Amino acid sequence: MDRALKGRLEARFGAMLAGPIRQRHDETEMRIGPGDVTEVLRALHDEPDFRFEMLSDLAGVDTGDHMQVVYHLWSDSTADWLRVIADGLSREDPRAPSATFLWKGAEWMEREAYDMFGITFEGNRDLRRIYMPPDYTSFPLRKDFLLPDDAARSPGGGVRHMERGHAPASRAEGSDAPDTIRRLGA
Amino acid sequence: MTAIARTWGRLTLPGKVVFTLVPILAALTVGLIAVIAIFGGAIWDILLANLGIVRFVIAVTIILLVTIPIAFLNIYLEMKVIALMNLRVGPDRVGPWGSLLSVVHGLKVLMKEDFTPTGADAVVFTWAPVVTYGAAVMTVLVLPFAPGLIAQDFNIGLLYFFAVGGMGVVGLLMAGWASFNKYSLLGGLRSAAQIISYEIPLTLSVVGLLILAGTMSLNGIVEQQSGWFTDWFVFRQPLGFLIFFIAATAEGNRTPFDLTEADSEIVAGFATEYSGMRFGFFFFAEYVNVFILSALAVVLFFGGWNAPFPFPAISIPIDLAAIGLPLLFLIALVPPIATLIFAAPFYLMRSSMRWWVALIVGFVLFNVVAGGLVFAWAFVSFDWVAGLVWFLAKTFGFVFVFVWMRGTLPRVRIDQLMGFAWKWLLPAALLNLFVTAAAVVVVGS
Amino acid sequence: MTAPSRTGPQPSADDPRVMLDRDIGVFEPVPPYPPRTEREAEFYTLGDGQMLLNMGPQHPSTHGVLRVVLKLDGEKVVDLDPVLGYLHRGVEKLCENADYHQVISQVDPLEYISSLFCEWSPVIAFEKLLDVDVPRRAEYIRVLSGELNRIASHALFMGWFALDLGGLTPILWSFIERDEIVEMLAALTGQRMLFNYFRIGGVNGDLNHEFMSRLGDWMSRATKQIESNLTLLNQNEIFVRRARGLGVIDTAGALRMCMTGPNLRATGVPFDVRRAHPYSVYPELDFDVPTRTEGDSLARYLLRMEEIKQSIRIIDQCLHQMPDGPIMAKLPRLLRPRPGRAYAAIEGPRGQYSTYAISDGTDQPFRMRIHDPSFIHLQSVGVLMQNNLIADTMAIMASLDPVMGGVDK
Repeated sequence: MDRALKGRLEARFGAMLAGPIRQRHDETEMRIGPGDVTEVLRALHDEPDFRFEMLSDLAGVDTGDHMQVVYHLWSDSTADWLRVIADGLSREDPRAPSATFLWKGAEWMEREAYDMFGITFEGNRDLRRIYMPPDYTSFPLRKDFLLPDDAARSPGGGVRHMERGHAPASRAEGSDAPDTIRRLGA
Repeated sequence: MTAIARTWGRLTLPGKVVFTLVPILAALTVGLIAVIAIFGGAIWDILLANLGIVRFVIAVTIILLVTIPIAFLNIYLEMKVIALMNLRVGPDRVGPWGSLLSVVHGLKVLMKEDFTPTGADAVVFTWAPVVTYGAAVMTVLVLPFAPGLIAQDFNIGLLYFFAVGGMGVVGLLMAGWASFNKYSLLGGLRSAAQIISYEIPLTLSVVGLLILAGTMSLNGIVEQQSGWFTDWFVFRQPLGFLIFFIAATAEGNRTPFDLTEADSEIVAGFATEYSGMRFGFFFFAEYVNVFILSALAVVLFFGGWNAPFPFPAISIPIDLAAIGLPLLFLIALVPPIATLIFAAPFYLMRSSMRWWVALIVGFVLFNVVAGGLVFAWAFVSFDWVAGLVWFLAKTFGFVFVFVWMRGTLPRVRIDQLMGFAWKWLLPAALLNLFVTAAAVVVVGS
Repeated sequence: MTAPSRTGPQPSADDPRVMLDRDIGVFEPVPPYPPRTEREAEFYTLGDGQMLLNMGPQHPSTHGVLRVVLKLDGEKVVDLDPVLGYLHRGVEKLCENADYHQVISQVDPLEYISSLFCEWSPVIAFEKLLDVDVPRRAEYIRVLSGELNRIASHALFMGWFALDLGGLTPILWSFIERDEIVEMLAALTGQRMLFNYFRIGGVNGDLNHEFMSRLGDWMSRATKQIESNLTLLNQNEIFVRRARGLGVIDTAGALRMCMTGPNLRATGVPFDVRRAHPYSVYPELDFDVPTRTEGDSLARYLLRMEEIKQSIRIIDQCLHQMPDGPIMAKLPRLLRPRPGRAYAAIEGPRGQYSTYAISDGTDQPFRMRIHDPSFIHLQSVGVLMQNNLIADTMAIMASLDPVMGGVDK
């Protein structure tokens, strides 16, 4: 992990950060509010000490009580993947600004997130469903969309999302659990 | 009455058909014999008086019958040769080495549902394959297969060839338009654009040759190339031949110019909506086209039915009548004796072989040898047999080249195709024409 | 029968109401479907002389069940609108309802031409979640089999690309190459296509005798054989003329379209995850990242062919450097990673495959995002094909090498 990157990010985006910057393995993670996405992404993309010119991935996440949009960025200025989480989108009407002004290639990824989670990306010119048929009404990857059959249950037991309904967000996402995990097999 | 009705009721459907047909056929035969017996002389006179027409009708019938096996042969050749180039086995199930597969293809095509899409212009849709196939077949009329073996020796044979051959595109355009399918339409328009563009270099490329030959009769052109192979026009018109060959490839819609049915772009082009025998007609027309374009290349540039060298005139004096009565004994005795002779080594050498198997092998061998001997005798004795053999050998050599190109080359793009025709082939054809004309003028004076 | 008006607003391609009217037998433009987006309104409004051509989902050259609506002006493609979803099976949802081991077999069929890479990135992501150290021998086996699979994929690409340009033979020649490799991998993994070989913490089986003998046999003639296959196309004037200058994209454009892999490197960016963000044992291996600057279809093709040679180099080094040791880390049967998030990206034959996995402490991933390069590259066809012909659209699509299994997930 790149400690210097953490310092630079904190110095540049101090006020916009919605949570502490976390680092683990080769990943650096920052959380911002959905309103700051445009500004943060543009700064990361354009400013010479960041140069995050590649959008590696754009994903929607349903944590159970709110939505996130997760951007993974790559830059030659650091050895880490930078994960930008636009946190705290409401589940009723999730809205986030589109990243297509920087990366036109984000268009389909945003369409996919819209199709699967119902996240509306403001500024995307072509926000239609991409996989599901146009007359489809639900958003399949949301946590309240339960699979109708039992075929996928794991034999190992454990807590099943289907039965649990919404995962308690405090435990799944927002917890401040330490990042060290007991090493297995070492 | 009831007995007849009961008997009729017991017949199966084919039985009823045969039962009805037999008396009708019998009556017709009797009538025909009667007509011939009464008016025979008059009919014969009429036929003799119109020998040209009779000849033409017979030739057309034969050509129609011959083109189908030619198409079959081309299809088989294509399947097998491309398979070998692709490092595959190719057809090997039906008949020896899969040689009957194209016949089975033909039967399959005959048995498939003949389908007209909703919205298609049914009349044009139906006639399109007929026009295309008809155009392909009609060009065969002027091809000199061998000395004397030509259906109609026009003095404007070459013009007729190009004119009728160019009519095939009308069929493709009709198919493309009438199918009510955008892919078909694109294919039809492509073929129209392509063939119109390539007609010009194709025709221009042979004008130089015509200046040298001084005739448009294909028979006449072939006759001028007799003697050694150096007399073939390809050595006097190399550029002309090159242009002709390229343009002919485009004219026949063959790879690399097979844009009209480019399967990776427009599915099957004009033939997208066709099935059954209508598609079969297009299919056959394509392969007949390959044959006649190869044949034309051979006729114009490769000496037609001429052997590559002056063939020593061998005449084998077999005067069967001189043998007299022993001929009967010969005919009766030679086959069984030869069969036994050929069978003997197999029976004696291979103990595992049954006697009757050996006899069959011997019989087959005898037939092969006898057939070969008869063929060799015919080859040296009759001009037309030798000519036909040379002609077909050369032509299928060209068919092989077409197949070879299909196995090797990718497809060109439509703008490259057009650009090539207008920017390169046409100027080259004109250059060829001018150089030939200048040479003729200089040498002539 | 009067021809319906073909200009003005047209119904959208995926409007369920657009269907064949059986009475008149034509596609009658129904009253305009209200366009859902700006882009859709723009696409389905036809100019003078333009027509819509529906290509696929059954079409000889759409590489699976892709449907593309082309807006044509004669032979010229003005615009196109890919319609996806014919192969969509909701892998991400399936993964969220499967335990960590089952995920591997769920993601296998994504890019069925190079399945090992689909397994690789989830496996790395899960290993990050679990903090597992993978034995070095397992890493070497992964690299070895992965590079073999890369060659198989690129060999197939060569054939498909030539087939879309109208060449019949290369696809069959390259299938011979691919078949040898696939048989080899079948000896190693037990499957020809959907290998299901990588495991969290290692691989499923050690190198065996049949695999090694096949590999040795192939390696002894691989370079020569691939060279001879390449001469069929590289020295073919028609092929080169058709591919050169076709579907050009510059560096900035490629980055804007989020392109990765050979398609990005063909524009001059030496971005290869194996070097840019190393994983596995790639830092220990010596290989080049070939780049080209033209950014056209020919460059993409030549680059992939160059990568085959680099992959052979890597395989050679793997065989020489392969250490002894275990092939699996010691792990419990039931994996329950502590809550956390992990992102792993790998360099596949088509570009960067990546996985973003979230664990909530149970035995099933809470969220598993799969990022597939085919999906990204297919989207850029619309940018690359500006004012090309129909034939070129297919060729451009083929030069990007999308696999519909991965596009539709």
